[in-house]
Amino acid sequence: MIKLEDVSYVYMQGGPFEKTALDHISLEIHKGEFIGLIGHTGSGKSTLIQMLNGLLKPTSGTITVNGKVLGEKSTNLQQLRFEVGLVMQYPEYQLFEETVAKDIAYGPSNMGLPKEEIAERVAYVANMVGLSPELLEKSPFDLSGGQKRRVAIAGVLAMEPKVLILDEPTAGLDPAGRDEILCKIKDMHERMDMTVILVSHSMEDVAKLADRILVMNHGKVEMLDKTAAVFRQGKRLTEIGLNIPQITQVMDGLRENGVNLGEGIYTVEDAYRQLCDLMNLKEQPIC
Amino acid sequence: MLKDITLGQYFPGSSVIHRLDPRTKILLVLCYIVLTFLIENFIGYLLLAAFTVGCILVSKVPPKFVLKGLKPILVFVVITGLFNLFLTRGDVVFSWWIFSITRQGIYFAAFMVLRLVFLMVGTSLLTLTTSPIALTDGMERLLRPLRKVGVPAHELAMMMSIALRFIPILMEETDKIMKAQSARGADFESGNILRRAKAMVPILVPLFISAFRRADELATAMECRCYRGGENRTRFKELLYGKKDLGAGISFLALVALVFAANFLFGKVI
Ligand SMILES: Nc1ncnc2c1ncn2[C@@H]1O[C@H](COP(=O)(O)OP(=O)(O)OP(=O)(O)O)[C@@H](O)[C@H]1O
Ligand SMILES: [Mg+2]
Repeated sequence: MIKLEDVSYVYMQGGPFEKTALDHISLEIHKGEFIGLIGHTGSGKSTLIQMLNGLLKPTSGTITVNGKVLGEKSTNLQQLRFEVGLVMQYPEYQLFEETVAKDIAYGPSNMGLPKEEIAERVAYVANMVGLSPELLEKSPFDLSGGQKRRVAIAGVLAMEPKVLILDEPTAGLDPAGRDEILCKIKDMHERMDMTVILVSHSMEDVAKLADRILVMNHGKVEMLDKTAAVFRQGKRLTEIGLNIPQITQVMDGLRENGVNLGEGIYTVEDAYRQLCDLMNLKEQPIC
Repeated sequence: MLKDITLGQYFPGSSVIHRLDPRTKILLVLCYIVLTFLIENFIGYLLLAAFTVGCILVSKVPPKFVLKGLKPILVFVVITGLFNLFLTRGDVVFSWWIFSITRQGIYFAAFMVLRLVFLMVGTSLLTLTTSPIALTDGMERLLRPLRKVGVPAHELAMMMSIALRFIPILMEETDKIMKAQSARGADFESGNILRRAKAMVPILVPLFISAFRRADELATAMECRCYRGGENRTRFKELLYGKKDLGAGISFLALVALVFAANFLFGKVI
């Protein structure tokens, strides 16, 4: 689905402030996967995902998305961007229309969809990200920061892309809102067989949602593996400024102190289940 | 998109020229510009060229960057050169149809082009080796005597440094907004003028909003730190003339002396 071969990216090439953000990266992401992308600040996550929809052109190497090679004349970039939806980091600044509804409709109307379908999609995604209908007629500039964030995310979801890329979509949202939005995205991923790449600094979120995790370190791919396989390497992750989920740390600590627990517990739900088994309690659904 | 525009023009470094007092550099560049107009023959320009090349070598700025400064005035230089070449009256050396080239025309054109090129290279070298902050600092100090006649030197310099600081910020912001809107399928390249102008709206609205917000935040931040203009304000980095500045001044005076000697010895070309 998405394939990178020996891709590098250099900011301000040839200038005095030259900076290599990506250093000979090769990787492959399959259709329908949920990828968690983690890495320390400045490791090149945002740079990497901006290449996947052609916003940045690789300094060297080739990128193939859906069988189309980026940078070739025959590849229509606009078309590509409808297929690969990208929610940028802190996307609030992209709002510009008079009303929230019109702003969400900007992407779909660029796609040339009929009016009724646009209206349908707007209502649908607004509900999905938790925007109440009366907000739709307000000016986006009168909203709170978190509401603006939701509008911006909705604006991309409304294009119903085949690949959805989110750059720290939940930074600065309250915990309930965060879980709600991520849950909806997971839902959409499963229902529409959407490929999702989620950039996040929260190991918990990534552990809960992702099928595979891509770890970046100083512009290089450090790991790209199943969630369990990545979080088994806690030591290496700590070395490169990351961590394993807190619940995993707790469980590992308990195990080291002789509590009979299995390895590889990455979510609170798993931990709860294991602890219930251990103490012979009847499981009651949490949440 | 906009990634090729570097921060101002400054090329950071630690050469002697970089470390000169900005006031010295500003004054010397002003004198240098005057000097380019006082030269009367090609020997003089040869001397000036030698001095300029020497400065570029000492500054360790790649010549590529100095020459880049010439690009924007290239058309202007060519047109000026051509006008001088064809429109100067004098002893005709070549003529064809309605065009005629005179000896004086050739000299005038050559002088004009040389002057413009040196003027540009000199000022480029100043901005390449002096950070915008140092530059405005230097200007403020040079304008300080004018405060007596009511020139708000500090405020002017402050306005200038804020404006300079905002250029890269706004560039970055534009870039970010353009990317975000392109990601939603915005198309800035196709269509007629009207459509293209309309396509700019999604960029301009957020840009203006963020510019006003930033200006507002900056004003608040300055007020919070009790900023109240230039009066009785002391500075973190006092500008001091040093031995380097004396050296620079003497080398420049040597150049001036040589140029005048050349003027005297070899006379006026035209
Ligand atoms: N527009 C730019 N111009 C120059 N350098 C840049 C630019 N954007 C990013 N960089 C540099 O490229 C490197 C990678 O940046 P990037 O934004 O991809 O990091 P990131 O992994 O997304 O970090 P964060 O977690 O903070 O979002 C950084 O070292 C940064 O300094
Ligand atoms: Mg980032």
